[in-house]
Amino acid sequence: MDGYLDKLPGFVDTIRSMKETIITNIVLIGQVPAPTFNEKRRTSVFMERLAEFQVDECTTDGYRNPIGIIKGTRESKPPIFVVAHLDTIFGKDVDHYYTIQENSITGVGIMDNSVGVGVLVSLPEIFRKLNLSFESDIVLAGVIQSLGKGNLRGIRHLLKTWATPIRGAVCIESAELGRLNYYADGMIRCEVDCNISTADGWEHKFKPNAILVLNEVINQILKLRLPQKPRSRVIIGKISGGYKHGTIAYDATLGFEIQSNSDKMVKSIFNSIKDIIEGTSHEYEVDLKLKTLSNIHAAKLTFNHPLVKKTVAVMKKLDLTPVSGPSESELSILLSRNIPAVTLGITHGDNYHQPNATVEIEPIFKGIAQIIGVIMAIDSGVCDEHQLD
Amino acid sequence: MNISWIEKNTFHYSEFSDLHRLVDEKQRKNLKISLCLPTLNEEKTIAKEILIMKSELMTRYPILDEIVVVDSGSTDKTREIASAYGADVFEAEKILPHLEKFKGKGENLWKALYITKGDIIVYLDADIKNIHHRFAYALLGPLILYDNIKYVKAFYDRPIAIGKNKIRPTGGGRVTELVIRPLFSLFFPELTQILQPLSGEYAGYRELFEAIPFPIGYGIETSMILDIYEKWGLDVIAQVDLDKRIHRNRDTRALGRMSFAILQTFINRKKKLGLVDYKEKLYNEMIQFNLVKNKFKPDIYEIKGHERPPMIEIPAYQEKFKKPDDLTPHHENIVEATL
Repeated sequence: MDGYLDKLPGFVDTIRSMKETIITNIVLIGQVPAPTFNEKRRTSVFMERLAEFQVDECTTDGYRNPIGIIKGTRESKPPIFVVAHLDTIFGKDVDHYYTIQENSITGVGIMDNSVGVGVLVSLPEIFRKLNLSFESDIVLAGVIQSLGKGNLRGIRHLLKTWATPIRGAVCIESAELGRLNYYADGMIRCEVDCNISTADGWEHKFKPNAILVLNEVINQILKLRLPQKPRSRVIIGKISGGYKHGTIAYDATLGFEIQSNSDKMVKSIFNSIKDIIEGTSHEYEVDLKLKTLSNIHAAKLTFNHPLVKKTVAVMKKLDLTPVSGPSESELSILLSRNIPAVTLGITHGDNYHQPNATVEIEPIFKGIAQIIGVIMAIDSGVCDEHQLD
Repeated sequence: MNISWIEKNTFHYSEFSDLHRLVDEKQRKNLKISLCLPTLNEEKTIAKEILIMKSELMTRYPILDEIVVVDSGSTDKTREIASAYGADVFEAEKILPHLEKFKGKGENLWKALYITKGDIIVYLDADIKNIHHRFAYALLGPLILYDNIKYVKAFYDRPIAIGKNKIRPTGGGRVTELVIRPLFSLFFPELTQILQPLSGEYAGYRELFEAIPFPIGYGIETSMILDIYEKWGLDVIAQVDLDKRIHRNRDTRALGRMSFAILQTFINRKKKLGLVDYKEKLYNEMIQFNLVKNKFKPDIYEIKGHERPPMIEIPAYQEKFKKPDDLTPHHENIVEATL
C-alpha cells in the first residue's frame, strides 16, 4: 500500500528534467501583477497555461477562481484539491519581472506565491511525465482574494459552492520547504482608524494627534495579560498615518491580528481590545473606529491523523525535516469545513516580502515530489473515514 | 505613397499562436531554425530568455533546432549562465578568428551566420525583461506559413523600466521617431510603413542574411532594411506586433551615439547607391560636451562604421555551407524568384 513512498526519491530526478517548463510557468505567471482584488490578468494567464497543459476541464467558478480538473479513474471517489493563492501584496505599478541566475530566481512575490502557483500549473505535465494517474479527480485551484482584506474569500466561495464532498487537500506555498501546517489558529484581523476632526480649525493648540492616540491604544493592548494556555497572542502588524513631519497627524490606522488556538480566547481578547478602543476614544474625544477584516475559526488535524502521519513519512523519505506551526491561510477554511488538509512549502528563499525576494531552484524538485507524495497518500485513502477533531 | 504593404504584411502575434500548425508546416517544409542571442553583459536577462524558449519552443513544441549565444566578451557571468541553461555559447572573436577583430552587435549577428545551422535565423536582443516565447514564434509565423515572406521585423508598444521597480507605460523609440522616420520620409517614404525599424528582434531566411553586408555596430538594423529593400523589395518583408517589450532605458547621450552610427550607415548606403554625392569626407567621431569644474570638455567617441561583407563572400563560409549536389549558393534562388 505504501509502495509509492519508495518511488518518491526517484521522482525528484524526473521532475528536475522538467526544470525549464516548471520555471517557465513560475516566471510567466509570477510576472503578471496580481494585487488582492485585481487578480484578473494573472487568472487569465493561469488559465491559458492550464489549458496548454491539457487538463480535462479548465474553468472558473462563480467567484472567478480559476480551476483545472484532471479526471480520476474512479467516479465514486471524491476529488482531491490542490490549492495555491494567486494574489500578492504588491501593486500593479511595481516591476514584476524576474531575474534568473544559475541557482536562483529573484523578483517580487516569488516567495508568496509565484513558485506555488507555477508548480500548481505544472502538475498536469509532471503527472504525465511520471506516468501517474489517480482514482480521484485532482482539482487544481488558483484561489483569488486570499491575503489581507481579501479575507480568504476565494477559497471560502469555492468550498461553499462545491457540490460534492472533498476527499482531502494540499495547500501549496512557495516557502519554506519543510513546513508542515496541519492546524490553524482562531484569528480576528482588525483595523483601527483614528480620525481627528478638523472642523475646529488647525490652529487649535492642544489638538490630539492621531498617531499618539493609536500609540496609547498599542500601549494598552501590550498591557493585556495573555494566557500561555490556550496559546494566544496579539500581533501589531501595520501602522500608517500623518501628512508631514511638522504637522499634527489628523488620521492614522493600526492593523493587528488576535491569534489563539481557542476561538473563545480570541473572542475574549477582541472584547478587551474593543473596550480599550472605546475607552481611548472617550478619553481623548477622538473618533476611533474598529473594523473586523477577517475572522477565522481554530481548526486542526491531530498529529496522529493519518494524513499528518503520512505527510511526515513522505517528507522523511525525501530527507526533509518537518517543521510545524499554525497557518492562517486556505488551510483554515478547509479544516473548518472538515476537509483534511495540510500546507506544504516548495523551496527555500530570502527576503520574503521584499522586492528582491529570492528562491533557490534546486530544492523545488524535492518540494514538488513531496506534494505528489501527499496527493498519492490521499488517493490511497489516508483521509477516508477519519473525522477532524 | 502606396500604403498597401502595411495592410497586407502587418500581423499580430496572436495570429501565430497555434504552435501545432507551425510545427507541422516547419516539418513539411523540412526547415531548420536557429535562435541567436547576441550578448554583452546580460547576466540578468539571458537565463530567462534561454529557459523560456527552450521549454516552450524546443521541449514542448519542436520549432527551434538550436539556441546560440554569441558574446562580445562579457565581463559578468553571461556566458556561464547561458551555458548552464543549455545554450550553445560562442565568443565572437573566436569565430572566424583569422579575420580582423571587431566588437559590436552587428559583428555578433554576422558571425552567427557561420556557426548556426538553420535555414531560418531568429535574432532576439538579450535584454528583454518580459521575454515570452511569442517573441520567437510570432517572428517565425509569417516565414513558415507564407512563401513570399523572407524577413520579419517586430514592433511593440514599448514601456520602459525606470528603476526603483517602477514601469512607465509610454516612451521608447526616440531614435526611430527623431532620426529614422524623418530619413525614411525624405528618401524612402515606402519604408515608413515599417513601424519600428530599429527593433532588435527579427528573423529571416539565411539566403537573405548571407547576401547582405553587416555593419558591426548600431547601424545593423537600418542597413539590413535598406539592403533587403533594395535587393528584394518591400514585399519579402513583414512586421509583427509583439505587444509590449520591456527594456532598459538608455540616456540621451547613448542615444546620440546610436543616432550617429545610424546616420553614418544611412549616408554610406545612399552614397553606395549613387543617390547622393558628398564633396567632403565625413568624420567618424561623435563629439559630446561635459561640464567639468566649470569648463566644457569634449567627450569624443569614435564610431568607425566598419562593415562586414556579405557572409557568402567568405571562403570559410562557402566551404562550410556548400551543398554537395549544388555548388550554386542558394541565395541566388531567392534573388531570381523575387526580382
